[in-house]
Amino acid sequence: MTYKVIGKRVKRVEDPRLLTGGALFVGDVNLPNMLHAAFFRSDYAHAKIKSIDTSLAKEIPGVVGVYTAEDMGEAWEPGPPLVSPPPTLEGVVFNSRRQVPLVKDKVKHAGEIIAVVVAESRYIAEDAVEEIYVDYEPLPAVTDLEKCLEPGHPLVHDDLDSNLAAYLVQNKGDYEAAKKEADLVLKRKFKLDRGAAVAMENRGIVVDWDQKNQHLMIWDTTQSPIPIRNGMAARLGLRTHQVRVVAPFVGGGFGPKIMMFYAEEMVLPWLTMKLNRPVKWIEDRKENFYATTQEREQVQEVEMALSKEGRILGIKQKIIHDTGAFDPYGLTTPLNTQSHSMGGYDVQNYNSELFVVFTNKIIVTPVRGAGRPQGIYVVERMLDIASKELKLDPRDVRRLNFIPKDAFPYNHEIIDQAFVELVLDSGNYLPAYEKALEKIEYDKFVQEEQPRLRAEGKYVGIGVVPFIETTGVGPYEGARVAVEPSGKISAATGVGTQGQSHMTSFAQIIAEELGVEVEDVSLVSGDTAEIHWGTGTFASRGAVVAGNAVLAAASDVRKKVLKLASKILETPEDELELEGGLVRVADIPEKSISLGELAVLANPFRGAVEPGTEPGLESTKYFGPAYGATAFGVHGMILEVDPETMMIKIHKYIAVEDCGTMLNPLVVEGQIHGGVSMGIGNAYYEKLHYDENAQLLNASLADYLIPTSAEMPHIEVYHENTPAPNNKLGTKGVGEAGAIPVPAAFAQALENALPDFNLEITETPLSPNRLYELLYKSEE
Amino acid sequence: MKVEGEHLFSGTQQQVWDLFRDTEVMAAALPGTKKMELIGENTYEAVMNVRVGPVVGEFSGQLVISNEDHPTSYTMTVDGRGKPGFLKGVGDVILTNQGENQTLMGYTGEVQIGGKLVAVGQRLIDTVAKSIISQAFEILDNALAERESAEAEGREAAYRKSSESDYAATVAKDLIKNVLKRTGSSEDS
Repeated sequence: MTYKVIGKRVKRVEDPRLLTGGALFVGDVNLPNMLHAAFFRSDYAHAKIKSIDTSLAKEIPGVVGVYTAEDMGEAWEPGPPLVSPPPTLEGVVFNSRRQVPLVKDKVKHAGEIIAVVVAESRYIAEDAVEEIYVDYEPLPAVTDLEKCLEPGHPLVHDDLDSNLAAYLVQNKGDYEAAKKEADLVLKRKFKLDRGAAVAMENRGIVVDWDQKNQHLMIWDTTQSPIPIRNGMAARLGLRTHQVRVVAPFVGGGFGPKIMMFYAEEMVLPWLTMKLNRPVKWIEDRKENFYATTQEREQVQEVEMALSKEGRILGIKQKIIHDTGAFDPYGLTTPLNTQSHSMGGYDVQNYNSELFVVFTNKIIVTPVRGAGRPQGIYVVERMLDIASKELKLDPRDVRRLNFIPKDAFPYNHEIIDQAFVELVLDSGNYLPAYEKALEKIEYDKFVQEEQPRLRAEGKYVGIGVVPFIETTGVGPYEGARVAVEPSGKISAATGVGTQGQSHMTSFAQIIAEELGVEVEDVSLVSGDTAEIHWGTGTFASRGAVVAGNAVLAAASDVRKKVLKLASKILETPEDELELEGGLVRVADIPEKSISLGELAVLANPFRGAVEPGTEPGLESTKYFGPAYGATAFGVHGMILEVDPETMMIKIHKYIAVEDCGTMLNPLVVEGQIHGGVSMGIGNAYYEKLHYDENAQLLNASLADYLIPTSAEMPHIEVYHENTPAPNNKLGTKGVGEAGAIPVPAAFAQALENALPDFNLEITETPLSPNRLYELLYKSEE
Repeated sequence: MKVEGEHLFSGTQQQVWDLFRDTEVMAAALPGTKKMELIGENTYEAVMNVRVGPVVGEFSGQLVISNEDHPTSYTMTVDGRGKPGFLKGVGDVILTNQGENQTLMGYTGEVQIGGKLVAVGQRLIDTVAKSIISQAFEILDNALAERESAEAEGREAAYRKSSESDYAATVAKDLIKNVLKRTGSSEDS
């Protein structure tokens, strides 16, 4: 299908506001009579609370109140379970334990909130927090994924028999039978460690209870305003129309901002209703390390059976996944790991045993990639190691195993994060892989460049890694599109924006349908007053699920426009066209009427209308796919290792992306750039170091390194297009794609760069120090 | 965090033992000590101001001496907390006679640290701990000499107290030394 506006490199319409300080963030919300909250958080990761003394804090002038769990009374209850376990799998164990607003008796991770101070200013509130004294009885911390299930180990939740949060097995085919046929059975253990999302804007919330209107206004840095509104109303005993949640511009979400409810989100609404005054809290950077969810920690034992030609006969896997102190987000992340552990390969036999464990660490919920990077990491590492063992070209091994083009839709026969069968809807993997090899000039590099540079004493290596990304999962999203009397278009969707360019790419869909300029479309995302139903921005699903809802609503408005215009212009609908904000007769362009005039006529002030007529040129539509759309990509990098400092420099970075129909290539490329930078952090810079007491040792940006522009290579992005068959636009998600393959590509490139060492990388993130240790160890 | 090291004192084993068991001397030796009192048998209560990089605050806690083997060894347990976090440690101190008027004090221990102290100050803790210890030894050396001469002269010993500014200067000096060592341009190279 040829489009006029969709797929064009339209510059982001939201940028002028963002770049000139004209965009509203939660931090900008300041209300008359507003109070400020600050939290007393536990230094201990695991400790019983013996007593809490807030008397000194309460005496400080300007302090309005200091509250603990006891003060909340009936209002104290844990957060809701966000995602329940898959009902479609047998033998699932799932122990739901959710975070609490204020700790009552036992602290389960450092940073948990014990008391809140409300004061006339944040300064006073923070000073008062310093005066709170809590008497603890410290307990041994649960940190080790492998040891924490041993009998007699300290327990995070005393009411459970062990630290097991969940257990399930997914099976496809018969691995044990396949193993008997194998020429090579490879067994490795992988350690994947934790990182933080480090959004530029920390979390924040402003709440305002209007006693006279009986209405609660909430500004929240959430990725999920509608579920926050619904849940908040339920918690507070209000009707949904009494609560309005606005997620204005949000400075980066990356997953943790879809968690709900954070303790602060449970405490602040209670405070504003109790005190009858607005209350504000903005998370500081240090709090962010302790209070905002993290991800990626797993230990995996993986076994792969292969033929001597390199054909994968089967994969067996044991995953121990750390969910931190609570598991509000169910099994989404580890299910994603399973969904990606076969990659885009035709694997007939798969057996995966999943143990989810509680530890005294910060809560784990999805972070951009959401379990997928771990799956891709293990399957790609296993293929690299197998290629070496079988003395095969790693490229040929991948070519041999890709799911062929005509095998789609391809059923992986396991359950995915949406609890439906993991069906890869479409794909054409081999051409994208070949394109990546060509663009990075693989042959030229290994045959000419690498030998030349090695002769100069330079350690340069290449890594090329393909990956799939399951995207665009349900349940549904909605959109409302309306023609204003001015002829401009107003639209709304429930998926909030944290930088995804919704205001541009969704406007392009509407502009395409209604024949208006992108600038004439004004889209509100993330305001519950504008649309009533929806879930949120997550799982790389905006362009797929909300995008197609926008299309459906715009198409319906188009129908209404044509119907009315046909009557007024006395011309059959199929002879009309929408162009330049007008409806005109295709052959007689001067015979036209503007959309604005039609909007006025569609909403008469007096007179009678035909029975059954709906006023206005407006429509609200929903879209929900039966199963997701699976994107594909290949990333390639050439890097150099400094043998003295172990610092690396990326000489070349290419990404070939197949996310089906692109709404806006600029936006797609921007997503890839951002994802890659996160992936580089995950691969070589960012690691949260916890000690054996579950104390976070690098909880500041001085010690937790994120890649800056100096570490970022120039990224070349190339596109393939295999449209998704199950949605009209043909879109697939791309928001998380960039981050997924990078650690695996890094590992491959490092091994390739350091052939003199017997280096086999089975862990991520790495760092210069860690690489040095690995090389030193393998030299021994 | 593991702590270990040794220091050679100019004194007999008995003199060094006595020195270490003198609350006044110990309070003087540790920078930032605001209070150190014997509150029970072998149990001391202390209040200390700690400064690790950007993390500053008062710690209060208890120090318990156990496993005493006069005048050779004892075990020290500290348990303290304050606004910047908490620390808990157990250590063994061993004194050995190294010939005439020479006593070697060796110590090994394990310290657990938590809170802001470790989250923000982690990179500096090692250096700061070493600085505190080295400065303490310097003061203890002087105190030992002062005790000897005071005894010889038949007067009360007067101890120099470690000041927080001396301590800050020592930490800064040690940090710079570390940086120079890392960049390979220290005076030794």
